[in-house]
Amino acid sequence: MIATAKRAAGWRPAGFVPLAWRNLLANKPRLLRSSGGIGFAVLLMLTQLGFERAFFNASLEVIRLLDGEIFLQRASKYRFATKDPFPARDLESARAVAGVASAWPLYADWHHVFWRNPANGKDYLVRVFAFDPDQPVLSLPALGASLADLNGIDTATVDRRSRRFLGMDSPPAAAELNGTKIKIIGSFALGPDFENDGTVVIGNRTFAKLMPGPRGGSPDVELGVVKLIPGSDPTAVQRAIAAAAPKDLAVLTKAQLLELERRFQAEVSSAGPIFVMGTLVGFIVGMLISYQIIYTDLAEQQPQYATMKAMGYRTSYLIRVVLEQALLSALTGWIPASLIAILLFRILGEMALLPLHMTVELAVVSFLLTLGMCLISAVLAVRRVILADPAEVF
Amino acid sequence: MPDAAGWPARFALAWRILTYDKGRTALAVAGVLLAILLVFVQLGFFIAVPRGGMLLYDRTRFDLLVASTGYEYQVQPGAFPLSLLDKAKTALEVALAAPLYFGSAKWRSGEDGKAPDVFVIGLDPQDRIFESEDINRQLAILDRADTILVDSATRPMFGELTAGRIVDIDGDKEKIGGDYVLGTGFMGLGVILVSAENFARLFPYRQLSQVNLGLIQLKPGVDPDGAAASLRKLLGSDIQIFTRPELEAHETAYWTTRTSVGLLFGSGLMVAFIVGVMIVYQILATQISRQLPQFATLKAVGYADGFLAATVIIMALLIVLAGFFPALAAALGIYAVIREETLLPVEMSGTRIAAVFGATIAMAAASALLSMSSLRRADPADLFG
Repeated sequence: MIATAKRAAGWRPAGFVPLAWRNLLANKPRLLRSSGGIGFAVLLMLTQLGFERAFFNASLEVIRLLDGEIFLQRASKYRFATKDPFPARDLESARAVAGVASAWPLYADWHHVFWRNPANGKDYLVRVFAFDPDQPVLSLPALGASLADLNGIDTATVDRRSRRFLGMDSPPAAAELNGTKIKIIGSFALGPDFENDGTVVIGNRTFAKLMPGPRGGSPDVELGVVKLIPGSDPTAVQRAIAAAAPKDLAVLTKAQLLELERRFQAEVSSAGPIFVMGTLVGFIVGMLISYQIIYTDLAEQQPQYATMKAMGYRTSYLIRVVLEQALLSALTGWIPASLIAILLFRILGEMALLPLHMTVELAVVSFLLTLGMCLISAVLAVRRVILADPAEVF
Repeated sequence: MPDAAGWPARFALAWRILTYDKGRTALAVAGVLLAILLVFVQLGFFIAVPRGGMLLYDRTRFDLLVASTGYEYQVQPGAFPLSLLDKAKTALEVALAAPLYFGSAKWRSGEDGKAPDVFVIGLDPQDRIFESEDINRQLAILDRADTILVDSATRPMFGELTAGRIVDIDGDKEKIGGDYVLGTGFMGLGVILVSAENFARLFPYRQLSQVNLGLIQLKPGVDPDGAAASLRKLLGSDIQIFTRPELEAHETAYWTTRTSVGLLFGSGLMVAFIVGVMIVYQILATQISRQLPQFATLKAVGYADGFLAATVIIMALLIVLAGFFPALAAALGIYAVIREETLLPVEMSGTRIAAVFGATIAMAAASALLSMSSLRRADPADLFG
């Protein structure tokens, strides 16, 4: 410790921070302006980046909640939220594979089930998931109900984070699905995405009654959820299931399932480019603001810099002071902006029911962008110092 | 007398200050330009999303839309009996009452063995409902059995859309009769047109006696509001009838309040506006603090605070105006790119230009107001401090 302190002290002639720090603090109103200006540019980048991630995460959320390691679905299924089911008996082939502990079906529908809000009697399309209540293949977040109750016919749990016009936020005791009276046995907290306003989870028997399979038989399966015996090699089991299952089924790991969805969203949705553009504008605006600040500062301090040059300080030292000052002003803009973003995300996330969160990744990315914009503008403005001519002071 | 100095003097002073340091002013204008551009872009999306949802309505010819009372928006229309449309036809004002059937099917001939969902619109090929005469002419081809027309904006994942290709839709073999230019909006990744007869074959569980939407064209000269009122009386309360403006209001409200679109682009709009204010404020405050001795001198020789304030306001206006017009030009370019990339109907309109212009002026006013406090520091006594 002492050694490092000594080395730091020995390094002092170059002086990390003090001069840059003093420069920054010299003019308090300007510091406030600069941190405000840079801060807003950072906030713009943060909101755009946050929205982009919320957009993609909302549609990935359900996949993340699947309780299994390997999944079977129709090979023709191009995204998660589309009905493309397969016969339940096709799951048998997976159950027989060594290393498989269990293989249970997830039933789903996105386009055919209407929820009647008991408050106003209006019907709204909802997304429905169903499974055997004794084999829950979906971990419902903050579940306030006993899943066993879903064994009763015509019972359901609802998402209390659904869009408010559905009337699920304080779940009613009963409602209607496709005209059938349903008892609400509890609720969970998932949230909508950009296509689904609300989610209802029911037992497999209620699903079979609501959406009978072809020729009135048991319904087809949307996704087979496979759990492995602890210690078995997932890749080997995946390969073995693929070999045993009918050829029109795809056998995927969770990472592959997520990747399929992510690729689909990136390919078809306009969200990516929209938010990237917003981020870029924030970056350029931030660069202009910080250039403006550094340039003004350097212009005002030019006599001082020239004096230091005359005293024998090298240009490289002065450049470093300017860069340090840029780093500090990046920090003074980024810190308040991140704090405001945390608050803003919480408020907007609740209002829009979106997974808007300030993550470590977001913090790091936004800080690097902030640093980048401040350093680039410092480099652009630093010519001013290099050109500082001692003679000019007089 | 200084106080008698008119606006030209204030303007001249503002102009002098701004042109004194051209590089810095150019920088400010560039920043404001970007902020205004961002406002344009966010506003563009804010308005484009409902427009995307209305694409089919915007490009079909009708005066009144008949829909079920359960109508939510285009893709969730509900259904009502065809007999009501037949009844509507008997009204004197009505020239045409065309049924539309909507369905979603699996296009099992996609790329890589995937089966994307295709949005199917069933109609009577005799009804010339489209704005585009090209499409109306093409409809005749739908009279052939198992023949479809494909929207040219259908995504590449559906494979080649060449005429003559046989594709599998929900297990039925259908022949692509050609493609048409309308746009898919938010109807889906791909849209096809089929005749009502073909629609019934594709969706055997659907009955043609239940329609999703009815498009009513009125006879020339008939007032839509009056006709809507008399049709509501004739057809009863099991359906709703929208005039064009009512429909637009309904769809816009759906997209901006029911989805996250309003909040997302609305908050983007606000942040862009604030960023604009910050930039202008930044530049004004810097200029004022640099010119503080001069301002103080002006005060000392008798110019009133109002004169200096007016000068600052003019500076703010000059900066934002210099930024506005290039931003408008750039926005036109970006809208074109967005139209290409996202297939959303992002278009510039007079009202939109006026709205952004208003926001721009507000930007200048807000930042001028903020920088007044710096101006107040101009104290003649300091000159000799």
